Amino acid sequence: MVNPQQQQRERTGTVLVVGSGIGGMQAALDLANSGLLVHMVNDEPSIGGTMSRLDKTFPTGDCAMCMISPRMVESSRHANIRLHTMARVTALSGEEGNFTATIKEQPRYVDPDRCTGCGACEPECPTKVVNAFNQGLDKRKAIYALFPQAVPNTRAIDPAHCLYLTRSVCRKCEKVCEAGAINFADTGRQIDVQVGSVILTPGLQTYRPEISQEFGYGKYKNVVTALQFERLLSASGPCGGTVTRPSDGGHPKRLAWVQCVGSRNAHNANPWCSSVCCMYAAKQAIIAKEHDPAVESTVFYMELRAFGKDFDKYIDKAKNDAGVVYRRAMIAGVVEDPATGNLQVHSVGEDGRLLRQEFDLVILSIGFEPRADAAEFARIFGIDADSYGFAATSKLRPVETSRPGIYVAGTYQGPKDIPETVLQGSGAAAKAMALLADRRGTEVSKVVLPDERDISGEEPRVGVIVCHCGTNIAGTVDVAKVAEIAAREPGVAHAETILYACAPDGQQKIRDLIRDKNLNRVVVASCTPRTHAPLFQDTIREVGLNRFLFELADIREQCSWCHMQEKELATAKAVEIVNMNIAKTRRLDAVHSSSVGVDHSALVIGGGIAGMTAALSIASQGYGVQLVERADRLGGLLGQVRRTVDGDDVQAYLTAVIAEVMAHPAINVHLGVGVEKIDGFVGNFITTLSDGSHINHGAMLVASGGEEYQPVEYGAGQSERIITQRGLENLLAEKGPGSGRTYVMIQCVGSREEPHNYCSRICCQDALKNSIAIKEKDPTARVVVIYRDLRAYGLKEEYYRRARDLGVLFLLYTPDDKPEVEVLPDKVRVALSGKVLGHPLVIDADSLVLSAGLRPRADADELAKKFKLTCNSDGFFLEAHVKLRPVDFPSEGFFLAGLAHAPKNLEETISQSLAAAGRVGALLSNDTLTVSGVISKHNRQICMSCLACVKNCPFGAPFIDTDGRVSHNEVKCTGCGICAGVCPAKAYQVNYFRDDQLLAMIDSVTTQAEPA
Amino acid sequence: MVTDKSATQVAESVEAPRETPVGWQPNIIAFACHYCAFAAADLAGVMRLSYPTSVKVVRLPCTGKLDHVYLLRAFERGVDGVFAAG
Repeated sequence: MVNPQQQQRERTGTVLVVGSGIGGMQAALDLANSGLLVHMVNDEPSIGGTMSRLDKTFPTGDCAMCMISPRMVESSRHANIRLHTMARVTALSGEEGNFTATIKEQPRYVDPDRCTGCGACEPECPTKVVNAFNQGLDKRKAIYALFPQAVPNTRAIDPAHCLYLTRSVCRKCEKVCEAGAINFADTGRQIDVQVGSVILTPGLQTYRPEISQEFGYGKYKNVVTALQFERLLSASGPCGGTVTRPSDGGHPKRLAWVQCVGSRNAHNANPWCSSVCCMYAAKQAIIAKEHDPAVESTVFYMELRAFGKDFDKYIDKAKNDAGVVYRRAMIAGVVEDPATGNLQVHSVGEDGRLLRQEFDLVILSIGFEPRADAAEFARIFGIDADSYGFAATSKLRPVETSRPGIYVAGTYQGPKDIPETVLQGSGAAAKAMALLADRRGTEVSKVVLPDERDISGEEPRVGVIVCHCGTNIAGTVDVAKVAEIAAREPGVAHAETILYACAPDGQQKIRDLIRDKNLNRVVVASCTPRTHAPLFQDTIREVGLNRFLFELADIREQCSWCHMQEKELATAKAVEIVNMNIAKTRRLDAVHSSSVGVDHSALVIGGGIAGMTAALSIASQGYGVQLVERADRLGGLLGQVRRTVDGDDVQAYLTAVIAEVMAHPAINVHLGVGVEKIDGFVGNFITTLSDGSHINHGAMLVASGGEEYQPVEYGAGQSERIITQRGLENLLAEKGPGSGRTYVMIQCVGSREEPHNYCSRICCQDALKNSIAIKEKDPTARVVVIYRDLRAYGLKEEYYRRARDLGVLFLLYTPDDKPEVEVLPDKVRVALSGKVLGHPLVIDADSLVLSAGLRPRADADELAKKFKLTCNSDGFFLEAHVKLRPVDFPSEGFFLAGLAHAPKNLEETISQSLAAAGRVGALLSNDTLTVSGVISKHNRQICMSCLACVKNCPFGAPFIDTDGRVSHNEVKCTGCGICAGVCPAKAYQVNYFRDDQLLAMIDSVTTQAEPA
Repeated sequence: MVTDKSATQVAESVEAPRETPVGWQPNIIAFACHYCAFAAADLAGVMRLSYPTSVKVVRLPCTGKLDHVYLLRAFERGVDGVFAAG
């Protein structure tokens, strides 16, 4: 019986996000941007999670802190996000739409309202504590910040080690704190919050390698974990980014990585694959080589699982550019030479003989596991866990827990990397946004900014902040000298250096300087304006300066990082870069941007499972959807799949989704049509379809899918006995496996080799699924899988184990020694040369099954041109950022999901589609969008109406008005400046890129070239 | 004629290139589109690719913004080369 009172009760427009790593922050920011209030709970003194502990990330080598720091700052500054650090949820009652959560905040003993984050307390504290953040490699004080860029930047006192709290003596921090922020009487607090939904992103813990004694961790000093090695590499780590050996402080040259430590082993370890270790080991080896060209790296691995987008190319880079040696071997043991501290690694070579190799440092690639408190966590939230302790979800509902209204994202749902965590964060957010669609905007308050200060008529007073970026810049460029020279430039009122300009304390410093020095323009010399300018623009706006009274001088990507070997010249170049930006900044004026309305509907291209999943989610969030499919039916490639590896009936699922899409009142399906052209801009697109109809929409989601490769290798087409995995699935479903038959499968057909040098990701899973199905129905069947690397990543390792237990044989081949296929009258003969096995092998198969991979759509390039989007070298669409913006395109208002992005399985496609829908929803929730201020301004007074601009503008912004003269539609303008370039009268000037500003830059950078 | 002679002198001075001093590096200004070439210059840094420090990048909203006036001004002020990328 439904209680009528309960039914009437309105849902709460607030979401509880438990965990504040990169997944939790993503969910919180998406929700907050869509008009819901967020309580984010985290048990550490700072947000940031595992990613904040990483040095760089694969496959781009981007600095992890540089990427996550702006997210942390944004999360902490967002008006709709309430942070609860050092806190846990201790109870949750109620139901979907109306939960009550009890949050218990531990005492911090430092008042966040008073603490300035100056850090004066730390040197005074006499107690040293092992620094868990740096993985025990150094010590911190009992009063501490979790890491230098911590958010919030309020220190915390560790009650287990503080002398006053344990023995009632000391109080030195209290004496030195001028802000009076120390509060030993702090008892913490407990609060109840009402929330409509809960998203769980508690993250992971890593395997404790001392359990596997053969590796010598804890016994030998120079055996470290991969996470410890991240800290050794990190500029803000215990050795400042110069890798040193724990035993003697020497610089290790011979490095060995041992893969799968704590993973893929049910004995004393975890049975699953941790998904990320193959790639992070490659990354660490590449970065170690960058730090020290004399480093020689060896990776001992069992199976190279580089299954993600562009991952195989990254491994090639490790091998070819960084000279990393990959050895396929299980490690028997690690033994220390007590005299040198060096380590002997015992392994079995490919010829079967025992090998002993000496290394200076051994790095254990430890895996992920659920946190120690995972069982308790599941109990508090009333959700089911799987047999390993991860949150139980289904392949078809990857972000939904067993309890309605509670969603999950990230490694608590199973091992995964950063982009998959981020997209599950957005996907879980999309679920909550749909649940609470009618409650948007009910619990939140508007951001109130101070009035902008009118600086017109003032002499320029430029402030220049030169960032160390840890050692990223300061390790190469003499930043003090850069600041010193900048201070002498005309119009500069103040210049100084700062450790991390983007960290909260750095931004506070900038705000303080603007006030204290009465600055009216700011130059920050740090990293690229492409990622960091918006952050600093917000910062100066918060103290009343217009956002466009700012310029970022890129002295990291375009200076320190590419001139590491030429420190003096790099410093001279940094001076020039900074000075030319000062020259521009002196001439900057305030730019005021206007706003436009948003069409609250989305156009989804592609009626496969990705497009349909996204369409349903967007529609259930309360927005209109136009779903365009070029075929005459919905379903896409999934129409050819019968079941998942878990046994879910895919066709029943697909039929239900199609029916739901067709029946949904907010979804309009266009079958048999394509997209002709797209006009307009974010929030206001007009798209013309091939049937001539026009569609207005605010966002565009590309889910145009991929294609299955039809193989020509290995005798394909020469015999009915040679089929693909898809053909085998049909055969098994229609006829069964027969009795006593022999099946041979060949993996990586048409994948992982030029010109398609990428992993298709799904073929290993397909092979396992079908192998298991054959052996379960007919144990007398023989199944042989001939493979290169069995990429059963994450929890899919379980199926690999099950296949082996069922007697499926796995034989290795290499690309230079492929199996040979001969079609005989009543069978297919498959021969392996035996280079790997040691002796030749011939198998007569009843069926030869080719694991053919996935391809981008043949017309992906054409589509990319039409939408002005880009593809990677394999022809898959390129997202805005492979780590942190996995479903966004660089062009505003465009989003991406499914096979159009890269090969992936059904579960991953569903997660990604929900993520894209969440991102679309966050955009469409706005009633207005502020148009970029960087647009072309037309001076009609001096315009001669020559029409050069009208002819050349690709966006149709200039037009002939009713007076028969040229006018300019600023809403259509993208600020490209083509009009300004072609205008003979110079009637156009682009805001922020005016001719006088750019000429000033040229003049500045050419002063030294002038004849004396 | 005077004008012819000066024209010949100019032609001669163009014909005879000046000697390139040892270690000399051309001073180059690159005009780069914010969305592609500037991003590529960033990527060069991310990939730790090296190039001469005498290359300086001026960011444009698009290479469409590149005005012949900028090129002329750069040469007038003595740069050895201009690189427009976008």
